[in-house]
Parts: sequence; C-alpha cells; structure tokens
Amino acid sequence: MRETTRLRRMAAALCAVTLVATACGGNEPDTAAPTGDGDEQTDTDTGDDTGDTDGDEDTGGDTGGDTGGEIATDIGVTDDPCPEAINPDNGCIYLGILSDLTVGPFAALGVQIVEGQEAFWERVNNEGGISGYDINVTEYTRDNEYNPQTQSQLYREIEPDILALAQTLGTPPTEAILPDMDEDNVIGVPASWWSGWDHDSADYGLILNSGYSYCLESQIALDWSSENEGEIGSVLAVGYPGDYGGDSAAGVQAWAEATGAEYLGFVETAPNAVVGSQDAAIGQVVSSGADRVVIATGPAETAEIVGGAMANGYAGRFIGSVPTWNPALMDSPAAPALEAAFTHIGPWEAFTGSSEAHQAMQEHLGEGNLPGNDGFTFGWIWSYPLKSLLEQAAANGDLTREGLRSAVDGLTVDYEGALPERTLGGDANETAVRVAVVSQPDNDEPLRLRTIETGISGPTADDYDYSAPCSGT
Amino acid sequence: MDDLLTILIRGLAQGSVYALLAAGFVVIYRATDVVNFAQPALMVLGAYFTALFARTYDLPFPLAVLAAIVVVAMVGAVTERIALRPMVGEPPFSAAMVTIGLFLVLTIIANRLIGSNVLTVGDPWALDTAVFAGNVRMRVADGWRIALTAVAFAGVGLFLVRSRVGLAMRATSLDQEVALAQGVNVGRMFGLSWALAGGLAGLAGMMVGSGGMGVDNTTAFIALKALPVIILGGLDSLKGAYIGGLVIGVAEAFTRANSATLSGYVGANVDVVVPYVIMILVLMVRPYGLFGTPEVQRV
Repeated sequence: MRETTRLRRMAAALCAVTLVATACGGNEPDTAAPTGDGDEQTDTDTGDDTGDTDGDEDTGGDTGGDTGGEIATDIGVTDDPCPEAINPDNGCIYLGILSDLTVGPFAALGVQIVEGQEAFWERVNNEGGISGYDINVTEYTRDNEYNPQTQSQLYREIEPDILALAQTLGTPPTEAILPDMDEDNVIGVPASWWSGWDHDSADYGLILNSGYSYCLESQIALDWSSENEGEIGSVLAVGYPGDYGGDSAAGVQAWAEATGAEYLGFVETAPNAVVGSQDAAIGQVVSSGADRVVIATGPAETAEIVGGAMANGYAGRFIGSVPTWNPALMDSPAAPALEAAFTHIGPWEAFTGSSEAHQAMQEHLGEGNLPGNDGFTFGWIWSYPLKSLLEQAAANGDLTREGLRSAVDGLTVDYEGALPERTLGGDANETAVRVAVVSQPDNDEPLRLRTIETGISGPTADDYDYSAPCSGT
Repeated sequence: MDDLLTILIRGLAQGSVYALLAAGFVVIYRATDVVNFAQPALMVLGAYFTALFARTYDLPFPLAVLAAIVVVAMVGAVTERIALRPMVGEPPFSAAMVTIGLFLVLTIIANRLIGSNVLTVGDPWALDTAVFAGNVRMRVADGWRIALTAVAFAGVGLFLVRSRVGLAMRATSLDQEVALAQGVNVGRMFGLSWALAGGLAGLAGMMVGSGGMGVDNTTAFIALKALPVIILGGLDSLKGAYIGGLVIGVAEAFTRANSATLSGYVGANVDVVVPYVIMILVLMVRPYGLFGTPEVQRV
C-alpha cells in the first residue's frame, strides 16, 4: 500500500514537473515525436497512386498532390498532405532539423534559427508549396545539444523519414554524420560557416552553405578594418579551437602573412561552462598589445573578453565573428567597451536589412515585431539553397534523394537580394562567396547593431588561394 | 609580487563561488546521504531570479539578491518534497539518479526562463576595478565574492552549531533513526537541508553572473567544478568545501595566468584540467578528502 502511494506521488511529481516545463516553453520549436500522421512507407512503388486518400501514406508515388506530372519520389515524400497542411491537396516533403535547442552552447541561436526556417518554409507553403508538395520542417526537429554523438543517434532516428536535412547545426556535429549522409544520399543545410563546406573534398558535395566561411570572414574584416579603422601592425586571434575559432584564426594568419602584419598567435579558449571564466584570454589580449583582436567565441565570452581587456588597459580594437553577437550584450557591463571598440562582421544584413528577403521576413513577423536575435535571419537565408534545389529537382522530375544530389552541381541560388546570386559546386576559388556586412553596436538600433557597410570585399580575401579548407582537414 | 597578489585574489574569488556550490552538495549529503546533481540548475535559477528582481522589477540589488535566495531556497524545498521525499528508504544511488533527472528538468526550465539572450544580473559592481597596496588590482565584484562567501559559510556554520534546528539537522545527518526516536522531524530536516542548499546556490548564481560575466544556457556546467572541490575537501565537511573551493580556485588562477607559457608544452586551457588532477591526487592519498570522515567498516 505504502509502495503504491509512493509510486502515485512520484507519478504526480513527474506530471507536475512536465506541465511546468511545457508551460514555460511556449516559444520553443516543436520537438515532439511524430504523431503518426506523417508516417511514411519507403517503398519505391511507381504505380499511379496520386489519388490515394485512404489514409495509408505512400512515399513511393511518382507524383505528388496536384502536380499531375511525372515526379519520381522515394524517402521522405508522401502523396498525403502534411500534418496541419496549409495546402491539403498537396503532398508532403519532410525535412529534418538537427539543432542546438536546450543545453548546448549555441542554443540561444539554434532556437531562433529553427524559427527562421519554419517561417521561411511556411511562406513557401503559403505560396502554394513546391510542385504540388508542401514542406514540413516540424515533424523531424530534434535537439542535438551541439553534441556529435547525440547528432549521430538522432540522425539515425529520423533518416528513414526525411528527404533532406533543412538544418544541421554546428560543424563538429555535422562532420559526425557526413559519412552516413553520403551513404544515404542526404543533402543538408549547415548552420555554421566552416570553410570545408566550400569544398567537395570535405563535405562530399552534400552541404548547401550560404555566405562566406569563417576563414574568409576574418580576412574580409581585417581588410576593411585596416582601411577604415587605422593601420594594423599586429593582430591576434582568440577563439574556440576547431572548425569555428580555428577556421577564423587560419584566416587571420593568412591575412597577416599576405599583408606583412605581425601575427601574434591564436589564443585558444572555450565556453565559460568549460573554463569558468575568460581570465586567461583577457590576460593574453592585454599583454599582446595587438592592434586588432579577432574573436570567434560565444556572445557571453565575447562580452567578457572585450569588457575585461578594456578595463585592464587594452587599447586596440576587436572584430567579432558572426556568432559573437547577441543584442543583450548591450545590457551587460561590457556595453561601453563594445560601443567603443567592437566591430561585428556578418555574411548578410541583420533582420532590419532592406533586401527583398529581409522585407519578406519582416512582413512575416509583422510590422514592429523583432525576433529574439538574428538567428532568425540566419535560418531564413540559409534555407534558400534547399528551396532552389527542391524546385530544380522537381523540374527535373526527380524528387528522390539521388535526384536531389545530382541536381546540386551547377545549381543557381537566388537569395532575393540578401546575398548575390550564387552557383553551387565547381572550384571554390571561383564560386565561394567573399562579401560581408560590417556593423557596430548601437543601442538605438532594434537589434542593437548598426550596419556600417554592406557588400564589402577585400583585396586579401579576394586573392586568397581557396583551393582547400583553411582548417580541420 | 603585485601580479601574484592580483592573481591570488582572482583565484580566491573564483574559488569562493566553487565553495558556495560545494557547500550545497555537502549540506544535502550530510542530511540525506545523497549527492545532489541538481545543484547547478538551482544556481542558474539564482542568477535568473536575481536578474528578474534587480532588472525587471527594479528592486535595490541587495534586496533582489535576498529575494532570489529565498525563491531558490523555496524551489529547493519544494523539489525535495515532490521528488526526493518519496525516495526515503531507497538506496542513495537511486535518489542520486533522481537528482540527475531534476538537473535536466530544472536546467531546461531555467533556460526557457532566460530565453534566447545572454542574461546579466544587474550587479552594481560591473567591471569596476580597485587598485591598492601599490599596484595590486582587484575587481570589485571579486571582493564581494570573497566577502559574501565568508559571511555565508560563517552563517551556515553558526546555524548548524548554535541553533536547535541546526542541532536537529546534525542529528539527522548522523543517524536518521536515532534522530527520529528523539522527536526530530526527519522529513522536515531533509526539506530544510534542500532549502539551505538552494539558498547557497542562489547566492552562487548571483556571483557567477556578476562582474561582467553573462549567464546563458551553458552556465550550469560551471557548477560541476564543485565536484573536485567536494572530493578534495571531503563530501561531508563544510570546512572542506570552503578550503577545497579556495584551493581549486587559486590553482586554476595561477595555471591560467601562465597559460601562454604552459600551452607550448601541454596545450591550451590546461587550467581546465588542474582541478581534476588535484582531485585524482587527493583520491590516491586520502580517498575521503582532506576533511572528510574516514569510512570504517567492521568485518
């Protein structure tokens, strides 16, 4: 009897905790398991089953929804509509998302990136979908916690049900599943800017990246900074080791070698959750006396490094990679230091930009509404290549995984003005994006960043021999 | 010499935060024989509620800190009542597993409360630095960390030694059945120990977020540094938690200060490893820690 009561109490406690967690998470992306509505069979039936409305979904149909044409499909595409479909007459293309949503170091960005992608595909569906198919990016959204092992497990879990990955966040987690993606012919959109994504030798030609790489980013930034913020005699890189900070530092070193500036080295740090504080990095920044410090860390660490170094007498300037920024930094004690000595570099304009793509996302959220941070913008713009690919594959009459993969090379992507039109595949020296946007902290701006200049490039970055990834190989 | 003192103060400040977190582990372990892995999540909630009261509700900072401590203490007590009390009588290992689950749930709740941005607690010290005795530099926030931790330990120590409730808690920690026979409400003592640990974690949360450091969804993992601290000091010793925390903090600070030199030999961020090296060395020599109670088993 006592045991029964205890069990009841434990069950009640678990229910209460679950309810609280659910109630607090109204803005989170849906990470629930599929309800069953979207369960697909993965046979390769080529029969004429477009009119199949008996409830048994069949991914093997040769047409979808209203297409009426001959489009071959296999995994992750159903003739039945998506759950809560905007266009009930359309079939459904299921895309997976593996993002950092709760306890990983980029969860603040990851949640917003997912929201941006959901908004992007909702717009696509509102405009009728793609060749008779709506796009679903919610059924197979999972939290990778920025952990390669978790990523690998989750990929195995959702792979049988998806056509492609609408997002795979983080370079190390993505690298962990690349061989499997290669075997399964699964195309993926990265939520990172590692230089390897520009090279088939590193990404198997599976990764549809957008914008520059961290390696080119730091070179463009230093080119711009030396022209606009004073001569650079010495430069120091600070960041996380590996394919983020390491890639950025490789660019800093290449820039110094090309321009004759003194390269003072790469200060490897880690998130505060690992190292406790950025004291070591601050000490090395101050003692280096570098004219410029290029930072590739998380936002909290950036604020600590910039604020701490300035408070201890550092007199140079900082350049921050894309993920270093968060609007809330302007509420931190480091705000005056950031305003005085911090320049942010990004691949495209922030949410408040003026391109057709930006106007579309602003319209989607409604006038005057802002996302939590610019991850929303990243998610939206990162989605363009996959949209172009799906359209091209459908036009080719082949929405199978192999069909998608074969359509990548030579694909032209229209970013609605957020980025220059781009052709995928080919020689990275010819096709890699080498333009950026420079911004500076400003409390009067909606997302606390004021755009200084868009579409910038630099002579060192333009001349850089990009025949191989800068790091991580 | 000035530099040495500057580094020493920085280490003592960081170590003070570790000590506070370790104290929470010790208080609960002494009362219930359970290692509470949910302590880091309580710390993050402490930072969140401090920011909420200080920044959103504009309470004076000391009042905001006190309010946050009270709220997190209540969260601790309620958590114990709901999730841990039904585990009384079960093996401590099972209860420890429950605290791991609680860590995940509370961390997710805390992260959702914090949202998608970096949180700052609104402390008045910010990046202020004081210079004294020639050229010894000390962050003002570090001075407060050291002082507040010393006061907190003194307060908890006096409470346990001088008050009747403290005596009852100590009796419970020594032998639950005997304490029960003496009229001590053992369940209430469990709740009180969780509340006390929650309060200490709440204070530690404020400290972690002060002095220009932001709090985000990874901050909870800083608290895992308390594990080598309690191994060093002894799992059931408050004095051990205090001294262990300071030792670990100072060892880290001196390693960090020399990281540029050391990185050429042992790689970057070697200071991350130092607490665990110390922990392993202590385990080899004194498995019960510097001030822990040796476990004697009759055979």
